[in-house]
Amino acid sequence: MPSPAIKSSWWMPDIPKSAVLRRRMLWAYVFVAAPILALLVFLAGPILFSGWVSLHRWDMLSPVGDMPWRGLQNYIFLLTRDSIFIKALGNTFLFAIGGVGANTILGLGFALLLNSRIRGRAVWRVLYFMPVITAPLALAVMFSFIFDRNYGVVNSVITALGLPRQPFLSGPNQALMTLIFIAIYQYVGYYIVIFLAGLQGIPQDYYDAAQVDGAGNWQEFRFITLPLLRPVMLFVVVTNTIGALQVFDLVFATTGGAPANSSMTVVLHMYNTAFKFSRMGRASAMAFILFAIIMLITVMQVRLLRDRSYQD
Amino acid sequence: MSLKRFVLVLLSLALILSFGAVTLAQDTTLTMLTHWGTEDQLAAQQAIIDAYMAEHPDVAIELVTVDFGELRTKIITGRTAGISADVYHFYHLWLPDFVNAGVLAEPPQDSLTYIDDNVAQGTIDAVSTPDGQTWGYPTEVNPYLLVYNKRLLAEAGYDAPPANWDELKEIAAAITQVDDTGAISQVGLGVMPGWDSGIVHPFSALLFSNGGNYLSEDRTVAEFNSAQGIETLQLYADLVASGGTDPSINGLGDFPSGTVGMVIMAPWWRATLRAAEGVDFETEVGVAEIPVGPSGDAPSSIAYTWLFAVDSSSPNKPAAWDFIHWMNAEHDEGAGSAIGDFLVNALGAIPSFDHDQAAFAESMSDHYVSAFVAASAYARPEQIVAGGQEIKTLLQVEIEAVLAGMTTPEDALASVEMQANAILEEQRMMAEE
Repeated sequence: MPSPAIKSSWWMPDIPKSAVLRRRMLWAYVFVAAPILALLVFLAGPILFSGWVSLHRWDMLSPVGDMPWRGLQNYIFLLTRDSIFIKALGNTFLFAIGGVGANTILGLGFALLLNSRIRGRAVWRVLYFMPVITAPLALAVMFSFIFDRNYGVVNSVITALGLPRQPFLSGPNQALMTLIFIAIYQYVGYYIVIFLAGLQGIPQDYYDAAQVDGAGNWQEFRFITLPLLRPVMLFVVVTNTIGALQVFDLVFATTGGAPANSSMTVVLHMYNTAFKFSRMGRASAMAFILFAIIMLITVMQVRLLRDRSYQD
Repeated sequence: MSLKRFVLVLLSLALILSFGAVTLAQDTTLTMLTHWGTEDQLAAQQAIIDAYMAEHPDVAIELVTVDFGELRTKIITGRTAGISADVYHFYHLWLPDFVNAGVLAEPPQDSLTYIDDNVAQGTIDAVSTPDGQTWGYPTEVNPYLLVYNKRLLAEAGYDAPPANWDELKEIAAAITQVDDTGAISQVGLGVMPGWDSGIVHPFSALLFSNGGNYLSEDRTVAEFNSAQGIETLQLYADLVASGGTDPSINGLGDFPSGTVGMVIMAPWWRATLRAAEGVDFETEVGVAEIPVGPSGDAPSSIAYTWLFAVDSSSPNKPAAWDFIHWMNAEHDEGAGSAIGDFLVNALGAIPSFDHDQAAFAESMSDHYVSAFVAASAYARPEQIVAGGQEIKTLLQVEIEAVLAGMTTPEDALASVEMQANAILEEQRMMAEE
């Protein structure tokens, strides 16, 4: 029988009369408080501080108390006068669109293949997943050699086929596309595994029933697989988009945004602005603009994909 | 008490006592942050530190090194985190930013007098703010010159390096080799995209040799967007068009492998070239003055400097300055300083102090460094200004855009000039605030 409450309000829970229960309750709060405190100190605190900094000019060297107030100037500068930021935003969107689209389609396609009865299925799964567990910087260095304009193996193949040599990472029109390709290679294995888990969660009964009704492969895919994979699709699209919009390491290690900012991304520009140019206020403003964009896109994606899944 | 417990207690006591002994013996601990991180350079620096600690048993020194690309970030984040080093060795372009933010401690009068008495005024100016305050001990002086591969020039039919831009374009185009598939196996002039100094310093050396300026004398306005500046950037565009250069070949990495004819570079490259497998340092590496542009009348160049300084928040400022002074001072007449020895023999750089230049004259008399020593007499010091790093990076990107055929020299320089002047104006306003 539960102990009657001593006091209750919107902020104060019922306090049991029993000393044992009170002690248990106290410990429960202590254990809950620890992660909350960690969240406040390591997440909420820095976010709030960053928001405050974005309204100032701060070089990270001067005392925080001496930061000159700039109001919304950092945001206005970024959105109206910082041509590198605008360029980086465009590049980042392209990177996200290309990466998310290809990873979703290829991830699902390969997952369907690996879910079927093909020979050496386990080996294929391992092979596809290997790039995911490879260090991103190692991959970046490897692809820098593979796509080298003069010595790269890809150009050797291309020219052997009689096609013209391509600059790839050193070409202003190809650097970003090449980075998208590398990102797809790096992450598609992860999404294959996610889709595969989703596919294996679909009961075989549905397919058996459909076959009894005379459904073909396409109809099974269109009316069973795809609708039931929609929650998985939502996860893949949302997490992939968030990751792609924050791309940094791959670009940093391969092109550094070159040539002439043609492969510059928002987070790399943010890093340069903060640590190379000591403009922490402007970099923080970039972080908040990127956060707003990611939030907006994520909400749109969730609404678009979630609502339909409910209907289905 | 069991034997096990007794041994544990004994060991703990021994550990505590040993730490205590170390603490008592070395009651001052200094941290020195540098960017000299190769195995040889680390060993040479540690030898200097060990020698100092042997003479000063009350001082312990910890050496921290990071790659040059991360040095500024390390200093900034270290300061923010409250774990800054006591002694910094850093690029002088960052000096105004660090001074404005109060990062650096003023050197003691003895040190300033010593620097005044033993360093050329031009080098002192390079580590001083416009108010005349010197902030540290200058170390390496690095002018830029044309480093060339004699074998590749000879194979292209030339027995002397280019003296002017027409010759530079002609020789560069003659050296470049492209195979049937379009692969560039050899390039005339190597550029160094992706590295701000590797792009902007050679550009500045060519600009100065074409009679142009980087900033105004009072450093308040950018002056590279001039007729001379546009001619300089047009030289890059012409070199790309003629095949004399190509940004897909990196001069820094490919010259040592013997596939680049010419690079505009600094003296500290000597160690790399000596170890290079594609080019013989003694017989194939030549050094020449920067070719003169159509609007210039004599070869010129740019020189940058580094300095040792002390963090203003260091609790051990006197000890830190003493250590820096000890490293840079000549203890036995004619022997040079410890850092002078390191700069010349481990790095191939030119030391700032007169006594080091005299003591290590022999080591600097090889065909490579001697040319840079001669150039240091006329090379113009890199103009340091608050926001200078940002201006330099913006210029680097626009030069790379010209190399990639994405923009014209006129548009590139006009764009950087506008942004550079905005930065200079902002810095002025901040200084007034």
